[in-house]
Amino acid sequence: MGVAGGTLAARDPTTGFHLRSAGQSVGARLFAVAEQSQASVCALWLDLDRFRQVNDSFGYAEADAVIARVAGCIRSVVGERAAFLRMGSDEFAVLLPAVDTPDAERIAGRLLAIIDQPMPLGGMLFRPSVSIGITWRHAADDPLSLLERADRAMSEAKRQGGNRFVVLAAEPPHTTSGSWAARQDLEIESVLHASLATGDLELHYQPIVRADGSVEAVEALMRCAVGGRQVSPLQLVAVAEKTGLIVRLGEWILLQGARCATRLHEHGCQTKVAINVSRLQLCSPNFLSVLHAALICTGLPADALELELTESLFMDASPVVQANLRGASEAGVGLAIDDFGTGYSSLANLKDLPATKLKFDRAFIRELPGDRRAFAILSAITRLAGELGMVVVAEGVETAAQLAACEAARVDATQGFLHAKPMSEEALLRWMKTAGIR
Amino acid sequence: MDENGRDPLMNTGSAGRAALATALEDNLRVIDIPPRPLIIDRIRGEMLQENPCLRRVGQLINADVGLAAALIKTASSSSFGLRARVRSVADALMLLGLDVTSRAVAAISLRRAFPNSGHYLRFWDASARVAALSGWLAQEVKRPGLDAADAYTFGLFRDCGIVILLRRLPGYMQTLARANGDGDRPFTAVERTEHPTDHAVIGALMAVDWWLPDDICQAIRHHHDRAALAPVESELSPVCRRLIAVSQTAEHLLQELRGASHTQEWAKLGEACLPLLGINEEDLRQMHAGATAIIDAVE
Repeated sequence: MGVAGGTLAARDPTTGFHLRSAGQSVGARLFAVAEQSQASVCALWLDLDRFRQVNDSFGYAEADAVIARVAGCIRSVVGERAAFLRMGSDEFAVLLPAVDTPDAERIAGRLLAIIDQPMPLGGMLFRPSVSIGITWRHAADDPLSLLERADRAMSEAKRQGGNRFVVLAAEPPHTTSGSWAARQDLEIESVLHASLATGDLELHYQPIVRADGSVEAVEALMRCAVGGRQVSPLQLVAVAEKTGLIVRLGEWILLQGARCATRLHEHGCQTKVAINVSRLQLCSPNFLSVLHAALICTGLPADALELELTESLFMDASPVVQANLRGASEAGVGLAIDDFGTGYSSLANLKDLPATKLKFDRAFIRELPGDRRAFAILSAITRLAGELGMVVVAEGVETAAQLAACEAARVDATQGFLHAKPMSEEALLRWMKTAGIR
Repeated sequence: MDENGRDPLMNTGSAGRAALATALEDNLRVIDIPPRPLIIDRIRGEMLQENPCLRRVGQLINADVGLAAALIKTASSSSFGLRARVRSVADALMLLGLDVTSRAVAAISLRRAFPNSGHYLRFWDASARVAALSGWLAQEVKRPGLDAADAYTFGLFRDCGIVILLRRLPGYMQTLARANGDGDRPFTAVERTEHPTDHAVIGALMAVDWWLPDDICQAIRHHHDRAALAPVESELSPVCRRLIAVSQTAEHLLQELRGASHTQEWAKLGEACLPLLGINEEDLRQMHAGATAIIDAVE
């Protein structure tokens, strides 16, 4: 579009990008176009690393040359279907319709590589680098709130050392109701990032109690507060999985869990520690070596550790997952089928799984003792699993009547608020001592 | 010693590792990954505050005279890249900031966390030389995102898994000898054929436990991994790859200048390292004088 269209006046002369002040209107136009084809809108925020040094050392003319070069790189990588904005002296934003997460990551990777090429500056070779934040439009977003979020993601990239990109939440669900959940996920994600950087995470342990009152195992559950409110371990794991944080988090949990088991043993409590394992962890070819590393480092016998995973994960056809399950089982680590009864459970499959334990989901137990059919299933499967050599646990036991029903069904052990809520390791040791448990 | 009469502990440029063989015979208590020192939690706790108080952190560090002295020494060394002279913990905090200070404290605590016998002292002295050279080299090559303090910390933590495995796995000493001599397979692949894990995984686990930045944890995990250094296929961030490259190059310099190692690592990884640092063999030769000064300063 030429000068007659009035667009040049709203553009930055160095880069040809729209000025920051045009962010709202340019964004709104792009949103409208995207809505017509029900496409997502992706926002990238780019900030040049160490630009102040360039300004201070070489002066504005040279600095402008760097800016123009970087802007040219952005335009050439992203293509013309996007809206380009110069948001500050060394900051740019790109609004891009119909781009999914892998595409956006490819674009960001390409940008990092191409911007990183050396350029002559004041008689030296200078290698610019950028930090990039990536996010997507949610239903409630206006252009500025979307850009603000991309800016936050960029700050995280900068905080992690720069010259990288950070994706803040994957593509949002397309419904308005999903928007709130997505925002909440974002909040959890940012707390998780901060907690992983500062070590502000804690494991709590919930005992699994046998009929004779002894402790069969304790389940390790991650504890993290967001905005003063405890987030459920399930929700934490879901966000950590979505963002890939689960791998680092999972390693930390494995080591802490193994350490806790070692200390329990030192205190004379011969109790297993059960650790939840997610699909992403089990898909890693490194999983077994990390598991062994945790055992070797703590000196814990393998049979004092138990991994809890869902039935669908046991059934996963991936060779890596199967090799990891086999390897863990061969090492002597216990494998528990978690949340049994919530998915498409198949009795025929039970005989083929390398599981040592079956944990009935709380949804079953909730119906007890009133629902005779639930009791019949609990009772029959307990007998079957017992025949297959598995220990059977009922989760979510909250009342004495539920406990009595589980015992009548001859489950081996029960877990739930009736016995104890998840608690710190210190509190667990006190609880065990008070209860006289060894 | 291996079948050729060489010391298997000299695999990664650490002359002092020879002594670890004897240390194995010590009747020291079997060690876990040393737990993260409380001081790191306290510094991190302060970082979480809306207005972190440097004075409070300074008081915490000053309460441990040895730590305070080591921090001042570390911050003053040319490996950390500070031009200003550091005279006190307060200076170090002001110049390094809380984040880097916490990493420096982790690096200092690492050495204190392991048994402090003569053998171990020599082991850590060797690691300290690689770390110091890495920090210095990071400043020399000036690559984006390659921070001297990170390079220094990485250099120190990189091989700590070896110490743990030597104490935990019978026969690991012989494995080390074979890994040293293998000019073809990755070092960790040799370890994995004989044991269920390797020193890079153990070291990375310890780094995760000590809340080191993700780039450092990943770099420890992959520091023998040729594919991780490849420009296109690598899943590692550029910063992470440069950390690995800088420490392997530092180790190579140490070997060239002190002739104290039998490692095959440079033959396997060197070619990938230099482009990551934007230098060639000639540039490396030009650095010999500077590197010698750094090693002398550490020694």
